[in-house]
Amino acid sequence: MPFSMLNGKDDTSNEYILIVDDDEFNRAILDNLFSRFYQTEEAENGRIGLDKIKECPEKYSAILLDAMMPEMDGLEVLENLKKEGLNDKIPVFLITAEASDSVMREAYRLGVMDVISKPVVPYVVERRVNSVVELFRARKQLSTRVDVQASELLQKEHRISSLNRGLFEALAAAIEFRNGESGEHVRRIHDITRFLLTRTDLGEGMSEEEISNIALASVMHDVGKIAIPDEILNKPARLTPEEFEVIKTHTTQGALLLEKIPQLRENAVYNYAYDIALHHHERWDGRGYPDGLAGDEISIWAQIVSLADVYDALNCKRVYKDAFPQEKVLAMIKNGECGTFNPLLLDRFLAVEDELRGLYNGDFS
Amino acid sequence: METSKKEALVAAGINCDAALERFMGSEAMLNRFLKKFLADENYGKLTEAAESGAAGDMLAASHTLKGICGNLAFETLFDLFTRQVQTLRDGDTQAAVDMMPEISEEYGKVTEAIRANCE
Repeated sequence: MPFSMLNGKDDTSNEYILIVDDDEFNRAILDNLFSRFYQTEEAENGRIGLDKIKECPEKYSAILLDAMMPEMDGLEVLENLKKEGLNDKIPVFLITAEASDSVMREAYRLGVMDVISKPVVPYVVERRVNSVVELFRARKQLSTRVDVQASELLQKEHRISSLNRGLFEALAAAIEFRNGESGEHVRRIHDITRFLLTRTDLGEGMSEEEISNIALASVMHDVGKIAIPDEILNKPARLTPEEFEVIKTHTTQGALLLEKIPQLRENAVYNYAYDIALHHHERWDGRGYPDGLAGDEISIWAQIVSLADVYDALNCKRVYKDAFPQEKVLAMIKNGECGTFNPLLLDRFLAVEDELRGLYNGDFS
Repeated sequence: METSKKEALVAAGINCDAALERFMGSEAMLNRFLKKFLADENYGKLTEAAESGAAGDMLAASHTLKGICGNLAFETLFDLFTRQVQTLRDGDTQAAVDMMPEISEEYGKVTEAIRANCE
């Protein structure tokens, strides 16, 4: 090896190695040995060394630590590094003339990477230190790559779930447009459902994800209306009993339609969407349709969407009616004009109805 | 390294090849540290401590000298200091003090060889 390389540092190397030893001879030997691979720094005792490490831990690729030193010895430095959790991040090599069993045992217990005996044999210490630094470098690169991939996956997941939501909403809005409405109805059903589940004890025991899925499923409650002929769906007058029977089939038609989308069946939203589409016209007293379910036979999410649907319909102008004032809306719901609701559900709904009203003034958050 | 110089150093108990290897083959650096050894104060501290029987100071000086001699491959001196450190650790101060004439003789040989060949 040409002599010029002995002390010539590679300027591109920004990896540092810290040599902590009270003896100038030892520091000079190690410095001379490792300055070919790293930027070297020296500390004359454990205290100075520890201060340097704590000041900028990520700077050092390895620490060469003498065992016996004034001020603070090597084991004490190790103990402090362990306390700070730094011995996992920087490989530390204890370099000692007395590699007694008890010292080695203690050093390894404190997380030292290797114990190297003095006087050092250059090619041995070089190989042992460099191998470990290489290992740490590879491990760090790998973990950075995993982090990047994980964050990419997360982004993709967000994109997929927002695409899902967009598709569900588009489908629901398309039906509303046919109905002569603007798409605001399904958005409000979504918000009311979510509000009742998050702000009252109706959603107790449900995870944030379940609540989001239920709220998303609620937008598809009327999806079966796509199968109802225009002249019945948009009839501006009272429906005949035969026509009403046709309208009622939007529940079963909705469930059938959802069942036929294979990608949806694998989605966590599916079970809720199917149940809500089929049962959002069931009533607590068993006098709803299509199955005449009563009480707790109707899932809580189908019950919530039923109430939200009625509440929103009464609040808004429809082809067959004008919007009603608040007192009238609440009176009609309470006296069962739109069917009987679960008393507990009604109670929770009435407790927060003032806040829900904000939806219609555009100040809903 | 010149043959005559090397022979003189080896005769004084210095393993030149091992020492050179430790300094990555740099004779200039080895020379610098050999001269540094002449100026090192630990030998003086050790003799003083041995005379007054201060075991703790003896151990500190002897331990440092052991390290330096190991690095510079002073094999005979390294063995002597290794023994002395162990003796002091075992608590036998008198035996450690009794080693001083032998240590002194070897120290004399080494320093003389360095003075004669490296300056």
